[in-house]
Amino acid sequence: MTEQAVLDFRKSYGEQYGFRTETKSAYETEKGLSEKVVKEISDLKKEPDWLRDFRLKALEHFLKRKMPMWGIADLNQINFDDIVYYVKPTDQEQATSWEELPPEIRKTFDALGIPEAERKFLGGVGAQFESENLYHSLQESLQKQGVIFVDPDTGLNPTDERIKILKLDKAAMERAHKKFREWFGKVVPIMDNKFAALNSAAFSGGSFIYVPPGVEVTMPLQAYFRINRENVGQFERTLIVVDEGSKLHYVEGCFTKGAPIVTSRGIMPIEDVKIGDLVLTHNIKFKRVYHTQVRPHSGKLYRIVYFGDSTQTIEVTEEHPFLAAKKQKDEYKNTEWKPEWIKAEELDKGDYIVIPIDRETESEDEREFLIKIGRGRHGFKTETLRLRTDPDFFRLIGYYLAEGSIVSGHYLHFTFNEKEREYIEEVKELLERYFGKKPYENKPYKHGISIVLNSTAAVRFFESQFGKGAAKKSMPQWVLKEKPEKQKEIVKGFWRGDGSFMMQQYPYGVKRMFRMNTVSEKLARNIRDILLRLNIFASINIQKRGGKRKNMFCIYVGGSFLTAFAEAVEAYPSNEVVVGRQVAFQKLRQINAKSFTHIAEDYAFVPIKEISVREVKDEPVYNFSVEDDESYIANGVVVHNCTAPMYSDEKHSLHSAVVEIVALKDATVRYTTLQNWSNNVYNLVTKRAFAYEGATVEWLDANIGSRVTMKYPSVYMFGKNAKADILSVAFAGKGQIQDAGGKVLHFAPNCTSKIISKSVSKNGGRSSYRGLLKIAKGATNARSVVRCDALLVDEQSKTDTYPYNEIEDDTATVTHEAAVGKIGEDQIFYLMSRGLSEQQALGMIVNGFFEVFAKELPMEYAVEFNRLIQLEMTGSVG
Amino acid sequence: MRVSLHARCDLMKTLEIKDLHVSVEGKEILKGINLQIKQGEVHAIMGPNGSGKSTLSYAIMGHPKYVIMEGHILLDGQDITKLSPDKRAQLGLFLAFQYPHEISGVSVFNFLRNAYTSLQANGTRTPEAGTPENRAKELQSIKEFRSHVQEKIKLLGISDDILKRYLNEGFSGGEKKRCEILQLAVLNPKIAILDETDSGLDIDALKTVAQGMNALAGPEMGVLLITHYNRILNYIKPHFVHVLIDGKIAKSGTSELAQELEEKGYDWVKNESQVAA
Repeated sequence: MTEQAVLDFRKSYGEQYGFRTETKSAYETEKGLSEKVVKEISDLKKEPDWLRDFRLKALEHFLKRKMPMWGIADLNQINFDDIVYYVKPTDQEQATSWEELPPEIRKTFDALGIPEAERKFLGGVGAQFESENLYHSLQESLQKQGVIFVDPDTGLNPTDERIKILKLDKAAMERAHKKFREWFGKVVPIMDNKFAALNSAAFSGGSFIYVPPGVEVTMPLQAYFRINRENVGQFERTLIVVDEGSKLHYVEGCFTKGAPIVTSRGIMPIEDVKIGDLVLTHNIKFKRVYHTQVRPHSGKLYRIVYFGDSTQTIEVTEEHPFLAAKKQKDEYKNTEWKPEWIKAEELDKGDYIVIPIDRETESEDEREFLIKIGRGRHGFKTETLRLRTDPDFFRLIGYYLAEGSIVSGHYLHFTFNEKEREYIEEVKELLERYFGKKPYENKPYKHGISIVLNSTAAVRFFESQFGKGAAKKSMPQWVLKEKPEKQKEIVKGFWRGDGSFMMQQYPYGVKRMFRMNTVSEKLARNIRDILLRLNIFASINIQKRGGKRKNMFCIYVGGSFLTAFAEAVEAYPSNEVVVGRQVAFQKLRQINAKSFTHIAEDYAFVPIKEISVREVKDEPVYNFSVEDDESYIANGVVVHNCTAPMYSDEKHSLHSAVVEIVALKDATVRYTTLQNWSNNVYNLVTKRAFAYEGATVEWLDANIGSRVTMKYPSVYMFGKNAKADILSVAFAGKGQIQDAGGKVLHFAPNCTSKIISKSVSKNGGRSSYRGLLKIAKGATNARSVVRCDALLVDEQSKTDTYPYNEIEDDTATVTHEAAVGKIGEDQIFYLMSRGLSEQQALGMIVNGFFEVFAKELPMEYAVEFNRLIQLEMTGSVG
Repeated sequence: MRVSLHARCDLMKTLEIKDLHVSVEGKEILKGINLQIKQGEVHAIMGPNGSGKSTLSYAIMGHPKYVIMEGHILLDGQDITKLSPDKRAQLGLFLAFQYPHEISGVSVFNFLRNAYTSLQANGTRTPEAGTPENRAKELQSIKEFRSHVQEKIKLLGISDDILKRYLNEGFSGGEKKRCEILQLAVLNPKIAILDETDSGLDIDALKTVAQGMNALAGPEMGVLLITHYNRILNYIKPHFVHVLIDGKIAKSGTSELAQELEEKGYDWVKNESQVAA
């Protein structure tokens, strides 16, 4: 999708030729998505009532649906109100030959090499600018066989006028239309997810394809998509129905022989591009690299410190809105709690910052974990560990987070005070219950007792899921999403290990607090988040300790949350071993302590402690979520901290497509995507296929560009002997998040599936594999292979895996492998000793890593893919 | 880049190693090596385990972990002590690795072509070259290159299946070594260092490799053969033999020295050098 490799070096290219001219569109809706806008789109397209109702129903659902928070990217940065949802680039009717297109648009396509590609090896082409299809073509031989390849407007509403303009066969079109009506919105229903609902409300452009029974489309059909401007959303819709025994290969994305990317590197002579050549100008964004993320700011900067977290301050530009609540006059506490967007300059001390509470819950009573068991010189063996994730197990996790450590790589230690006999016995029992091995006791020092479990599996489990070493402990996503009732047990275990109760005399009275300590900032935050789900507000305070000692993060719970916390951790006098605490707890219930903070529904309201302003000149302003990535906090650089969601002052674009594929009996469909959006695009796409008896669906999905991609192509196998093959590759460069993967669901016997995921992270980029394998009861003899390989180019980059398995049929054969690799110094040296530069060597290793994908592509695409990767790997994109 | 004041005596490529001290992770391994290898000469370096043989080969090629504390490496009078490995390769150095690394997904042919083009263009080549005319030229050059490689493959008696396989992935020990020699043959360096190329080879493989080397090494190539055993020296006759002990060259001689070592063992040289000291 065009995603056309919008690469950094174009910046200089662009600046040199002053490419900044905006072209005027023929028509566009106002910003934001409303009933009015949706009706306007529908009217413009002269849609029948059923379609208009479909859009309105989708809109309603979109507005109602909460933002998904389970991904690694913060989607709250998308400002839905600042996006133009429909832009019609030209008044001209859709063309069926290149000559009919306006000259400047035609030149663009020429520069992209599309007409040439069409002549050489494509069976048909669809091309889209902003919201509309401008060109569609299909080989005559395919037309004669009744294949239909049109835009969705035509597919859903084939008026005589359209049929005439597009020179379609009326009978074939009507037959296809029936199929489109039958399947439209069925594979990916409106209610599927927030972004599918968004697409269903605002969709425009895309491709509708119907292949009648027994037709093999041997040459690929291809679609190109472009977002030309900032703040524009592209919501194309694709529906492909391949009838019985037919075959299709569909490609979306950029094939760019002689494309500008390459041009600026010398393929196309620079003199071919003239000043004022609008085509190249307005289609090329020079935003690939950081200036979309970093910009110099001159003016005021607001520094906001809020109660309850001394580790976090927020520094923002004055126009930056916060989700916040004003303090109501002269009252101790507000009576009404309603968050609204307030600009930084309008906030005062005492107003409330709003912290959203993630209430989304994913609960499992049993989970599988992949652990690596070292085998000395023989490398690793991957094993699956199946654990019951019941409340008691979560308490054990709490104990580990507080008192657990790993010794010599094979021993799990829990250290307690000898007086804590009750806890010691419990931990021993829990360890034996879950890991099937009896632990023993050690006495490492006076009054201390260590429980030692010699189990490599247990060690690997805790190490991989919760981190090793006190400063690196944290909780994984599956724990953070569990039911609050189970999470409560973590807090209980943790509090028993590292908690205490404090009373301090202040001039205004006695202050009582529960306190828990950790040297891991991340863990402190995790615990705070869990407590929020339990409707308990906790403060985090940082204690700077001198010398080499690590900073201590103290989690405090006090005021009106005291009793709730005491109940959560069952800290009642009768359970207490320490006599001194007993008095305190008895009093606890009698006092009616108040808090500054307040929790109402899905938000915590935290008062602002301090606001200061400073004038800056040309100070770089970042716009990153830093909560998980401390590396962005750098001296002299202002970080837009995202503890509270805020509108970004950066111009984002949103691409939210829906792709529906129906592969009927014995049909074969391959869908190839080369995604290379520029770095300000949120790419949130729902792709799903239904495969019936004997059908094969293959997704080949490459994600190179975009700021955030969340995409998990899926195949639902409803007929026996169906086959699903998903190959997903991703490249995450600086500031990019590639949250990709695949889903396969077996609902019929004898189906096979394969998911292969390969990702490369570089320069602090984050990639993750997220996948689902479901084998329903009765889907017998399922065979499935899931393999995820990640390659980290440097130390700053990250990768995660979130595999979900739901296997309900005992006859299934499932293999699952995961590996994370790093490029070694010796490997680089080996290649350099043959004359390759370091960059070339890195590029070669990464290309080799992706070879399994590239070799599946037609030659021209493979060349292009390798070139894109090579460009990403060289410093120019850096 | 610093050019040495030493005058270039003749047109022959010469590798000169002067008083080379090398440390690995803070530990001094080489303690003053002096060596001169001219094009057309075959030198063998022998020595017991841990004497610093492999360190010498890595240091000459420029592995970042092998830090040169003192001394210089000159190629043809030019000081290359501080050059990166790729620059050294471009000047005509080659190292056949004792343990070649696996590069998954990169075919041997593709790798050879990339390396070859890099060396040809002396590092000025960019990976994205190619107007349509350039592309045509490139295709032409691919064809020419393929026949160049085929010729070497025949010469070394290797099966050409190897070209399609991924570099060293799933190769047996012998295949890896043969692949190193194939690279050497294709890239045709001025000075080749062979780091224990003979180890891990059975006698037949050893013969093929040695025959290949003999065919390649001629008046145009200088060879530094690093070996633990003198088995390979039965097939490749060195002009000079040096014995490396504890980071220093303890004894140098002609090929008879290897024979003598075979009979008397390294202790003999050790004792002798101690007496001399």
